Amino acid sequence: MRISDSPNQQSRPWMPAAVRHDEPRGDDELLARIAAGSQSGLSELISRHGRGLRIFAARYLGNAGDAEDVVQEVFVTVWKQAARFDPVRGRASTWLYRITANRCIDQRRRRALRSFIGLDDVRDEVASPEADAEATTAARQELAIVRDGLSRLPERQRMAVLLRAVGDLDIAAIAEVMGSSVGSAEQLLVRGRRALRDHLAVAAVGRERKPS
Amino acid sequence: MTRDEFERCRRRFGDTVEAWPAPFRQQALALMAVERIDDPDAALDRLVLKAALTGGDDRELARKVLARIEAGSAGPSFLPRLLLSPAGFAACAAAVVVAVTLAGYQVAQLQDDPSDTELLALASGSSLADGGVVADYPSEEGSL
Repeated sequence: MRISDSPNQQSRPWMPAAVRHDEPRGDDELLARIAAGSQSGLSELISRHGRGLRIFAARYLGNAGDAEDVVQEVFVTVWKQAARFDPVRGRASTWLYRITANRCIDQRRRRALRSFIGLDDVRDEVASPEADAEATTAARQELAIVRDGLSRLPERQRMAVLLRAVGDLDIAAIAEVMGSSVGSAEQLLVRGRRALRDHLAVAAVGRERKPS
Repeated sequence: MTRDEFERCRRRFGDTVEAWPAPFRQQALALMAVERIDDPDAALDRLVLKAALTGGDDRELARKVLARIEAGSAGPSFLPRLLLSPAGFAACAAAVVVAVTLAGYQVAQLQDDPSDTELLALASGSSLADGGVVADYPSEEGSL
């Protein structure tokens, strides 16, 4: 288990390594290599951040296929614009999540437009983890309730909650990704968490009443 | 172990807690477990992360990205991409409306250029079906 350099991340050292971004220097070096035309650098960056970005996009968009497209577009953009990344201005992970968030918003608008003009239906389709990965039925139900709660959150609250939980970004980075002030990003996060907790509480009451 | 001691150990042994020597390792893991329980926001974040996890193959993703880069295109060609984006679609729709409006004015101008006879017929109240012939006996209207 590794611990991040970020003070914000020190309180969350149990986060799975695959979605943590705890080596900013490594990312900066990778981006420098990518800017110089290194495809192996890009592959390494994808292996470090691809999973986190895909989870974020999938849960924000509610569609795994769209998320896959978005993440591919993100890394193509990174390939083209890596030279524009300035490590002095922020962390690489923040930059990656910012590109992803913008692409997700574009994708959502495209979906809404295509749905409006009757080209396709918007369906929420994200594969859930396999059953054996979740120990008990109760745990599976709880995770399903969280996923349901996430999908019901207003878009910006959902984005803030996912950036925090999946992207492991602190409030300042969330604000930067969302193009908002630190205060409003914090408000979004607080409201999103509260709504999720309320949703979990209501579901728990419902489950208690069901057997009787 | 306190958080300060934890940070000192971190500087001393590195970031990977599992690689720390005993008994620091167990104490650090115990501290991390306590912090996990004490922070409800962190517990919720952990639950959200667990719920959000999806499958996916990073190698496959890398292969697709590199294929896309080698194909030299990040997506569909410019026109379909423009039409699928809301701003592009709105711009095209607005251009079509303006073009149709201008064309309509042009056609109407060609067709509705009224001749002097028609204007005279309109002014006098005669029907154009009569060939626009103007009643030529105004004196009778006022007479008995």
